[in-house]
Amino acid sequence: MIIKTKNLTKEYEAGSQIVKALNGIDLSVEKGEFISIMGPSGSGKTTLMNIIGCLDSPTNGTYHLNERSVSELDDDELAKIRNEEIGFVFQSFHLLPRSTALENVMLPLKYAGCSENEAIKRSKKVLENVGLQDRVKHSPSELSGGQQQRVAIARALVNKPSILFADEPTGNLDSKTGNEVMNLFKDLNNQGQTIIIITHEDNIASQSNRIITIMDGLIESDTRN
Amino acid sequence: MLIKESLVSAITSIKSNATRSFLTSLAIIIGTAAVIAVIGLGSSAEKALEQSIDDLGGRTLYVSPGQNRRGAVTKGMIPLDIKDAEALARNNEHNWRISPTITRNRQIKFGNANINERVGAYLPIHFNVRGYDLEHGRLFTEDENYGRKRVVVIGSDVPGELKTNVKNILNNEILIAGVSYKVIGILKEEGSTGWQNPDDELYVPLLTGAQRLFGTDKVDSINVGISNDHNIDAVMMTIEEILRAKHDIGPGEDNDFRISDYSQFADLRRQATGIFTALIAGIAGISLIVGGIGVMNIMLVSVTERTREIGLRKALGATQRVIMMQFIVEAILLCIIGGIIGILIGTSLLFLFASLNDWPYALPISAVIGSITFSALVGLFFGIWPAKRAAKMDPAVSLRYE
Ligand SMILES: Nc1ncnc2c1ncn2[C@@H]1O[C@H](COP(=O)(O)OP(=O)(O)OP(=O)(O)O)[C@@H](O)[C@H]1O
Ligand SMILES: [Mg+2]
Repeated sequence: MIIKTKNLTKEYEAGSQIVKALNGIDLSVEKGEFISIMGPSGSGKTTLMNIIGCLDSPTNGTYHLNERSVSELDDDELAKIRNEEIGFVFQSFHLLPRSTALENVMLPLKYAGCSENEAIKRSKKVLENVGLQDRVKHSPSELSGGQQQRVAIARALVNKPSILFADEPTGNLDSKTGNEVMNLFKDLNNQGQTIIIITHEDNIASQSNRIITIMDGLIESDTRN
Repeated sequence: MLIKESLVSAITSIKSNATRSFLTSLAIIIGTAAVIAVIGLGSSAEKALEQSIDDLGGRTLYVSPGQNRRGAVTKGMIPLDIKDAEALARNNEHNWRISPTITRNRQIKFGNANINERVGAYLPIHFNVRGYDLEHGRLFTEDENYGRKRVVVIGSDVPGELKTNVKNILNNEILIAGVSYKVIGILKEEGSTGWQNPDDELYVPLLTGAQRLFGTDKVDSINVGISNDHNIDAVMMTIEEILRAKHDIGPGEDNDFRISDYSQFADLRRQATGIFTALIAGIAGISLIVGGIGVMNIMLVSVTERTREIGLRKALGATQRVIMMQFIVEAILLCIIGGIIGILIGTSLLFLFASLNDWPYALPISAVIGSITFSALVGLFFGIWPAKRAAKMDPAVSLRYE
């Protein structure tokens, strides 16, 4: 069991109001699963991903990642977990605009304390795996949206995380490039990578092997195909 | 590797906002330039002073008339006269050069020009004691002194003041207080020493001056030239012994003359220059601190602008320490670059100013290292707060930031 949450809640204070983004989420994820999270806008998908991605902490509830209780970890330990266990892919790619593809991919390895040569070697390998061996020295502005997202995926994968999170990874891409990215995810999943993506598109979700729907901060349905 | 990453990211960020970075570090640039120029000018002035002291070829003590006090009663100034100087000159224990002086202002005439100028009566040795060099003609001799000859050596500015030139005045007669004197020599330009300007002065032999020109054997002061390796206290003691005996001063009574040390004046002047330099440099240093506030301001802007970048870096595993280092390095780099530009500008200004004034060019390396270090410290100090703010950002919130 990679992920196990019990009764996760998250409340935000927005001015004088309290917004309940999550209302008690029980979720278990096994190694090798490919999960889609769906649900209307504002239902709490990103909030959930942030918490299980250790970017945010829940208001209540427990969360175990690889059998470790995350709520007991301090800031540095959380940074280490994000660095080693988790890879993030975002809708808007989030690449550093003035760095090359290679430098972007190397970033997690630098934070891991990896040597420069080792980091370059590993990053090039991963860029090759996502089909960008010819674009290593290009900066993001010299790449298409699909290529940028593949750089971001390479960056998420470079430190061999146990889970890959992708928040609407195809949201900024046309359907053709979106499908290419999905094919990449399926390939990765076939090689054993655990993947959780958030999406609004049924045809994207249907390509995964488990679909979780969230509504008002609660899991409404959880189906496996 | 992380330091390198911080440096690379700082350079990237500074370069991508080149204009803003330049404007931000402008106060640092100006501050450093001012500090460097002022400290440089101070040490150049000090070096100029030292050179003029070295030119004297040793030290000069200065014996001048003092108060005669017997008990509580003051009987006015007791003059020194030529006999005192002769008594000192007879002693050769310290191998000193005794040079008494009498100076007065007198009317000088040459052609139509008529000026009032300082005339000094000296022994030939005076030029040696003070280290004055001859430019044209010759100096007067012992024989001319004993013969009370009417000859005069003039300072380098005098021909101009008499509205003539070297060629016309050399070996010609000028009128000093209505009596004609032959101009036999013209000195090199010496430059003002602060309390007198040797270039303006006219120099006649001591006895000529005493008898023909001033009608007195009372001297204003007696210069005692000694070489640097002499013990100044022993020399002063000998002077005291001789003059006390000559003036009949009993044990327990005060001297009726004063002995001062030119190098003490120099020390005082050096001290004054030092204090002045420190003061101005301090004021200039304040502008470095003001510059630091500007850096802090722009770093805060930069942190806000890069909220999403910070969120991303944290999502990829950057710890608070790493984020903090990134922004502190950027602030320090900004200040150091400003400091380096400021040093370049400051040294250019110093060079320009020193060469315009014909000063030796001196800039202590410690001032350069000091101002780089200081600007780095300013960057560190004013970078900490913005960097802390960046480090403390909530990653989830910063990733949402538009
Ligand atoms: N930092 C915050 N402060 C206050 N409220 C927040 C904050 N973050 C999220 N929320 C609120 O929590 C709720 C869930 O937000 P979340 O971003 O998780 O939704 P989502 O399902 O990802 O939506 P979308 O599909 O539009 O991305 C929303 O009502 C949102 O306004
Ligand atoms: Mg969302």
